[in-house]
Amino acid sequence: MNAPSPTPTKKYDLSFARWVYDNIDGGDRMALCMQCGTCSGSCPIGTQMDHGPRKLFMMIRAGMKEAVLTSNTLWNCVSCYNCVVRCPRKVPVAYILHDLATVAVREGYAEARNSDNARFAKAFWWSAAKYGRTDERLVTGKYYFSFGIGEGYKRGMANLPIAMGMIKTKRMHLGMPHKCSNTGELHKILAKAAEIEARDHGKQG
Amino acid sequence: MTKTMSYYPGCSSQASAVHLDTSLRAVMGKLGVQLRDVEDWNCCGASVGHIEGGHLGQAALSGRNLANAQAAGDEDFVTPCAACYLNSHYTNEKIRENPTVKAQVNEALAEAGKSYDGGLHVRHACEVIVNDIGMDKVKDQVTNPLTGMKIAGWVGCQTVRPFAKTDRGGMWETYDDPSFLDDFVTACGAEAVPFKGKTKCCGGSVSVMSPDKTLHLMKDILDEVKTSGAEAVVTPCPLCQTNLEMYQPEINKKFGTDFNFPVLFYSQLMAVAFGLEAKTDAALHQHLIPPVSLLSRAK
Amino acid sequence: MTERKTGIYLCGGCGIGEAIDVAALEGVAKKEFKLDSKTHACLCGDDGVAMIRADLEAGINQVAIAACSSRVMTDRFGFEPIQVLRADLREKVIWSHPANHEDTQALAEDSVRMVLTMATKVKAPEPYVEGEWSSRILVMGGGVTGLAAAAQAAALGHEVLLLERSDRLGGRALDSSKRLPHRPPYAQPAANDIGDLVASVTGNAKITARLGCTVTQTSGMPGRFVVNLSDGSVETVGAIVVATGWRPYDASKLGHLGYGASPDVVTGVELEGMLKAGKVTRKSNGAPVKSVAFVQCAGSRDPDHLPYCSSICCATSLKQALELIEAEPATNAYVVYEEMRTPGVMEELYRTAQAAGVIFMKGKVKTVGADLTVTVADELIGEDIPLAGLDMVVLATGMVPNSTNTDAPSPAEGAEQLAGDIDPEVPFPVAGYCGDAPAAHAKRPQAAPEGGSLLNLQYRQGPHLPVLHDGFADSHYICFPYETRRTGIYTAGPVRRPMDWAEAAEDASGAVLKAVQAVRSASAGAALHPRVGDLSFPKINLNQCTKCKRCTVECPFGAIDEDEQTYPIVNATRCRRCGTCMGACPVRTISFDNYSVDMLSSMIKAVKVPDEFSGKPRILIMACENDAIPALDMAGIKRNQWSAHVRILPVRCLGSVSLLCISDALSVGYDGVMMMGCKPGDDYQCHFVKGSAMAAERLSKVGETLKSMMLEPERVTQAEASIADADRLPKVIDAFVEQITAIGFNPFKGF
Repeated sequence: MNAPSPTPTKKYDLSFARWVYDNIDGGDRMALCMQCGTCSGSCPIGTQMDHGPRKLFMMIRAGMKEAVLTSNTLWNCVSCYNCVVRCPRKVPVAYILHDLATVAVREGYAEARNSDNARFAKAFWWSAAKYGRTDERLVTGKYYFSFGIGEGYKRGMANLPIAMGMIKTKRMHLGMPHKCSNTGELHKILAKAAEIEARDHGKQG
Repeated sequence: MTKTMSYYPGCSSQASAVHLDTSLRAVMGKLGVQLRDVEDWNCCGASVGHIEGGHLGQAALSGRNLANAQAAGDEDFVTPCAACYLNSHYTNEKIRENPTVKAQVNEALAEAGKSYDGGLHVRHACEVIVNDIGMDKVKDQVTNPLTGMKIAGWVGCQTVRPFAKTDRGGMWETYDDPSFLDDFVTACGAEAVPFKGKTKCCGGSVSVMSPDKTLHLMKDILDEVKTSGAEAVVTPCPLCQTNLEMYQPEINKKFGTDFNFPVLFYSQLMAVAFGLEAKTDAALHQHLIPPVSLLSRAK
Repeated sequence: MTERKTGIYLCGGCGIGEAIDVAALEGVAKKEFKLDSKTHACLCGDDGVAMIRADLEAGINQVAIAACSSRVMTDRFGFEPIQVLRADLREKVIWSHPANHEDTQALAEDSVRMVLTMATKVKAPEPYVEGEWSSRILVMGGGVTGLAAAAQAAALGHEVLLLERSDRLGGRALDSSKRLPHRPPYAQPAANDIGDLVASVTGNAKITARLGCTVTQTSGMPGRFVVNLSDGSVETVGAIVVATGWRPYDASKLGHLGYGASPDVVTGVELEGMLKAGKVTRKSNGAPVKSVAFVQCAGSRDPDHLPYCSSICCATSLKQALELIEAEPATNAYVVYEEMRTPGVMEELYRTAQAAGVIFMKGKVKTVGADLTVTVADELIGEDIPLAGLDMVVLATGMVPNSTNTDAPSPAEGAEQLAGDIDPEVPFPVAGYCGDAPAAHAKRPQAAPEGGSLLNLQYRQGPHLPVLHDGFADSHYICFPYETRRTGIYTAGPVRRPMDWAEAAEDASGAVLKAVQAVRSASAGAALHPRVGDLSFPKINLNQCTKCKRCTVECPFGAIDEDEQTYPIVNATRCRRCGTCMGACPVRTISFDNYSVDMLSSMIKAVKVPDEFSGKPRILIMACENDAIPALDMAGIKRNQWSAHVRILPVRCLGSVSLLCISDALSVGYDGVMMMGCKPGDDYQCHFVKGSAMAAERLSKVGETLKSMMLEPERVTQAEASIADADRLPKVIDAFVEQITAIGFNPFKGF
């Protein structure tokens, strides 16, 4: 786990920005952002974001940690990587957003934890880490019921026609989840990975 | 001449994209590539694994797959899935370029007595066919040309972004205007229509969790398909195929449209064009929107 | 003078022979001018050229060619020193008009009439070569630009006199720490190497440097300027490079940015001095500077201060921030900017500064408190954000050109000449403008900058080098940036425009090359840009002169002085041969050997004007040779078509067109007249600076005259043309033809 990020006490307090530079994957290049807006302009879903990547990066520099980590920009990223390949300064924008999302969940921001993406990620990781494979049926089910029994049932019913179709075409199976044969080995590797990440504060050298 | 490559099918190969897996295995055999499944492969973490699992958890997932493949003695690590390609490629690059990450991943792998040195080449199945096999060989296999079919080649995002460069160096495609799907379509004897939505995004995993946010993205793509005059869409990406196919009824409901475009895998086109069996090789029965025209041409 | 024998050659190549009846053109020469002509199927081919050469040997002393545009095949049809006159049958006739049409044929015939008329009205120019000429070059200013200029001029073999006002060579660079990057990879501040440049100059035998020395008076002309110096000596030089540099904007005017409120609010130049001294501390208490904010555009791009961008302040602040971070890596350096402007390779320095952790804030500084709290209206975040805890605030002030000597008082005269420079607010005040009329621009004051004149020119038009509204020397920025409006005097470095060290050194090379060209051309009697090599110069018949002074006032280059009886005196090598004096003279007494009002009027009258029963209007376009004619040539090359009812008369500059040419045209029955030339105004494109402005000014007064002749003012207009107007000009022409057709025929037709 990363060391918690510092919370700036005033605008343009650089502590959070510098933490991002050092601890976020690709953060070292973020300093090169020249605010051209190619990322936000290239984003297929940019209009549905509260800030968009360009402004979010400015907010990081300005020390607006809370606004950054509660921003829906982190959750609306569709991972199309247009921003990554188009940035004239080669800032890996999507990677940075993904990592900031991780930080936001870890640091317990309600907006982050309650986001669809965090709920889905939780269900996804549960399946991947437990079984070694993601079982789409179990992941979606777990995701739906993360909203509560009633909401989960509602969402499940709404998607029933799709699910039925998938079952009929043999693209969704019933029965035991798919899994690796040596899940014990995988569990050991992942536990060690988590330990190392905590020990090294998420630094990648 | 047959070449053996490690094959990492990814989780969707057992579920929503089982028809990609089936058809790709069928055509790769015809094209002279022996696919050897990665021993006891696991999930790559896709585009959300890092949120719960963290960097290193995500890297360790790919690390285990790569270690198992390297132990099998192959040079190439081939995957048909865009997200698997992205994650495996990314982790492979990190291990190769960043000694800290390499040490960290190996420290985790050591728990299971495994190690990985970054020596494999992570490849997308399309890229292997384009670069190693070549379109001429694809054409050579065509016995049942799909004459008269008009098809829109939709690449989506992660097949070429951010890794339109190959793990063996150089670019195999462009980020914004990739042409390889059109080449597949043409090689199979069909007509590749001019299609403006080539690398538009379907919303990826956000479409799975919150389709309300992204239905309009898929609607834009379908509008472009309609404009192009195509009768079907072809894609290399498992999630693209599933999203664009399964949400058409929802899109029609929301936007008052009447889309009913079959969404196919390039490997299914080849399977039919190579004269392979419709069900066991091309897996044409596994579509929510039946590919009527292609079915009618299949053996 | 020997008898004029003109050889006339018609070309049938490039499709001319197929599109028009060339034999009929021969008939025009024969019947109307009693002259024999020769037609060749490919005149520019070896055979055709050999034919002309044979005639030259047989005794012809002037050549008239009707073939392609005068702008092409100048090498094939160059028979120095024989004068070659050209009529264009290709670009502006057959390529731009339908083939085998009676109107196209009539156009071709008129082209031949015009060139044959011209042939009777011109003679080969005799250059002005009297007297002694100096090739020595005076360089004013011993900073980076001046030193580089001196070294370059010496390297080209010229003696150099280098003047420096202060007591040391090296200028502001001596007070600077590192310099901006000037070599690949351009990513880091570079070592200050001014010492090397100074050494290369002081060790050069061709360069005489005088310290503490300024110019007190300059007279003469290119090739022999007589310069009086403050040390009492008088020197003769051939050309002058003005490299007097810049000074920082007066920060005492920046109270709103906290200057003066705290000693820790400093200018960039002040910080540079501290960096040079190796000791950057708070002036107030000597404490170290750990947190610093750079305020960009301090008094720049601000209508109340310097309205322009000085182009190097952003890069300079980046460099200074990097120097501070290099000395103390924990330094917090903020750069508050409106737009980061790092032209060209300075982008690399920007990247370095970003990577080094400099923090950039986009917005305007609202206040700077005495406690150094800088409040920024942050444009990206949309809030006012206070930056507190700073140790120093650096105001990145702009560059003010040393266009004058600020140590000396302003001269008594000169300001009014500059203020009174022709600068029409509306470029084309005449009614009937064709196409999209350019917007009127506000007239800006062109008062002389404060301070004594650098050169104290003993010119009729005053002691100053004319400046633009921002105080930089006036020059044609695009085509000939180093030329000032005083021929043979070239500005280089930051006195010309804001620039950095490396650019200034490069600028010096450009100006020196122009200076070298000036001294060489002067002794040959040849013109400088843009009529390079033209040997003609204005000749004034003083018997007819009314001493109206219009020529001495209107010359854009101050070439004409007045003698004791206020008669005009032409200083031939100051002249650029635009003919503005010729256009100004009300009694047509100014002319060139190969260009005169009589020539233009005769060519206008040579055209056959059809009568009103033909239903065909005839319209005259006097088109500037600098941009309008090439643009029309390009229109022809692109096969753009325009009305065959117009007749195009090339002129040196619209400034050379006398109003008498217009009244002559209307009196012989032309239905309309268009002047087509460069953009006037404060962002002029005129190659002679004021020529097209002058034409617009003159034309604005022609309306009343037309009314008194019972003619509609709309019959005469001016159109703006740029070199890129190949697609627009044909439309402008056709619209004017339509407008004239709507007005109806000129009632003077046939009189």
